Amino acid sequence: MSTVKHIFHILVLSSAAWLAPSLYAQQQPPQLFSGMEGYTFLPGGTPVPIWGYGWVADGFITLPAPLLTYTQGESVQLNFTNPSPESHTIHLHGLDVDQANDGVPGTSFSVTTGDDATYSFDADYPGTFLYHCHVTTTLHLTMGMYGMVLVTRPDFTLYEGGPTYAEDVPLLFSDLEVATNLDPVGSYPFHDIRPDVFMINGESGSQLEAPGRIVHFEPGQPLALRLGSMAYSRVVCQFPPELNATCYMSDGRPLPTLFEPNALEIYPGERFTVLIDPEPGWDGSLPCEFWSMVDETLESTENIHIRDAALTIEEPQFIGVKGYPNPTREHITWDDARQIEVWNAYGKPVADLRFEQGVLDVSGWPIGTYVARIDGRRSVRFVVIE
Amino acid sequence: MTFGQDSLYILRGTWNQLPEAPEVLRLNASADWSEQNHVFEREADIASNLVIVNEDTTSHVWALLMGEIEGITIEPGDTAVVDLPALPMGTYRLGLIDGEGSGLGAQSMLQVGLQSGGDPALFHWNLCDWEAQQMTSWSSGSEPDPNAAYVPNYFSINEQTYPTTLEDPNALISVALGDTCWIAVANHGQMDHVLHFHGFHVEVLTSNLQPTRIGWSKDTVPIKKGEGMTLQLVANQAGIYPVHDHNLIAVTNAGFYPGGMLTQIIVDP
Ligand SMILES: [Cu+2]
Ligand SMILES: [Cu+2]
Repeated sequence: MSTVKHIFHILVLSSAAWLAPSLYAQQQPPQLFSGMEGYTFLPGGTPVPIWGYGWVADGFITLPAPLLTYTQGESVQLNFTNPSPESHTIHLHGLDVDQANDGVPGTSFSVTTGDDATYSFDADYPGTFLYHCHVTTTLHLTMGMYGMVLVTRPDFTLYEGGPTYAEDVPLLFSDLEVATNLDPVGSYPFHDIRPDVFMINGESGSQLEAPGRIVHFEPGQPLALRLGSMAYSRVVCQFPPELNATCYMSDGRPLPTLFEPNALEIYPGERFTVLIDPEPGWDGSLPCEFWSMVDETLESTENIHIRDAALTIEEPQFIGVKGYPNPTREHITWDDARQIEVWNAYGKPVADLRFEQGVLDVSGWPIGTYVARIDGRRSVRFVVIE
Repeated sequence: MTFGQDSLYILRGTWNQLPEAPEVLRLNASADWSEQNHVFEREADIASNLVIVNEDTTSHVWALLMGEIEGITIEPGDTAVVDLPALPMGTYRLGLIDGEGSGLGAQSMLQVGLQSGGDPALFHWNLCDWEAQQMTSWSSGSEPDPNAAYVPNYFSINEQTYPTTLEDPNALISVALGDTCWIAVANHGQMDHVLHFHGFHVEVLTSNLQPTRIGWSKDTVPIKKGEGMTLQLVANQAGIYPVHDHNLIAVTNAGFYPGGMLTQIIVDP
């Protein structure tokens, strides 16, 4: 099952330059930070501002936030730091944590600018959960401050006495309204937020067709689709019968009666765990519809592409696609790259690039995180240091 | 038990909960105006009746909202006696089905077989979404433009919007550690709502629109438009925990957070 890729590696920029000098010195335990200067890219390449979470060791925030994975029975200490200009929290949605760790300002604690915090809880139940900021939730959530939490068992059973499976496939549904993200301060009134970008793991449309996004399976090796929604829309997943899907869990609990989903409705905040064991040779998609909660119109259909691993011919790989050295002070090289575009941490294209024979000259550039698109199709992140 | 004896009054009055103070319609238990709809109770599996008095100035159509029972038109000043069928335990909806009657909020809940001497304790949440403009239209005697986009700007539990939900002893769940309680929930709005419980999972005991979910243990519970649902909560940890619509446009009042469909569970240690 090594061909199955967790499709959470969504490239997002962050102006986390403040972190850059210590980027690679950061040691365990991993720590999340919140940021308000990130970007996500629409299928056409347009950057949209986001707020979110990222690993301190990475120095950038992502949409969705990093996947948090724990083992059932673990006593979790989740470390969090907030260098951003506003207060944020982490609400561990569905984990039934106690009041002190609930992440709600007023009843729990807020993490103000410059503060560190630790959220403590026991991962008692295996399953699919979520986390998100609970400060001015309507706004902070639509800005992108959410991610998925998986609590799994080492024996690859869904729960005690439950079925075994081969691999977890986290699939987080969300949406955003571009106008709100462009002008969060001017986004009142909140009740008229109407999303216009509909995402699975932070991507939509053609982005979900990229080779790295296709969910590969091997017949007889069931995949656990970890479906969760942070959308403002109602999501309906239309399961083709060839997927041989069975729904085992919702909201981190086994269902009293299993069922074979046809049109599986997922409301904001809900989660489902569905095992699929598709027909050998199947190559198709799982259409996921986004319906407006207000007027029940179909806003978008996004497709999860699922393919028998035996059908995938190895894509020609870019040698050293990550670029080297990275981080860098003066030059970064992508072998065989012919053309390059670069954006800075604020999502602005960098003009007048000095780029020849795969070598980009970054001497004199401000330190920080950049995103490059190589030959119009591969996006990579690199860091310029002092 | 003296179920089946009570009356229902259709009254028109002012809803001071909202800054616009719109004119609305309510189903009250007496001829005295209350901003909150009265919740009616019946025993399970026993047919009964209900006396309905239309104290309003226009005629209205009343129905038990089960899709089976035809509406009964009641003229202004008239009284009707309607039969309620024997129903299994659960949470049902009743109210006015004419445009003005439902648009101005005369809809409430029928609890069947849920009252059993206070154990488990029973709470109720009548959920609704509102567009101030629509209410203004209805109360001025004109039908809202059916082609206009619906942009609800208020969201309520028992006709209260947060923070006043915390002042309603039915909207605020206050229990002791270890207690089990039931919550009867009905969605009278024009859209689906989805309640997220902090701190707890709840079990679905009854549901009229999602019967396949009976027995599920959930922290996030969709309550569909037109749905009546009964939930069981076991208060197994102390503290104060929010419960709110996770369609987050609904935790606002006139667009401002926090507000709307948001309340709390308080568990005393
Ligand atoms: Cu936040
Ligand atoms: Cu949540």
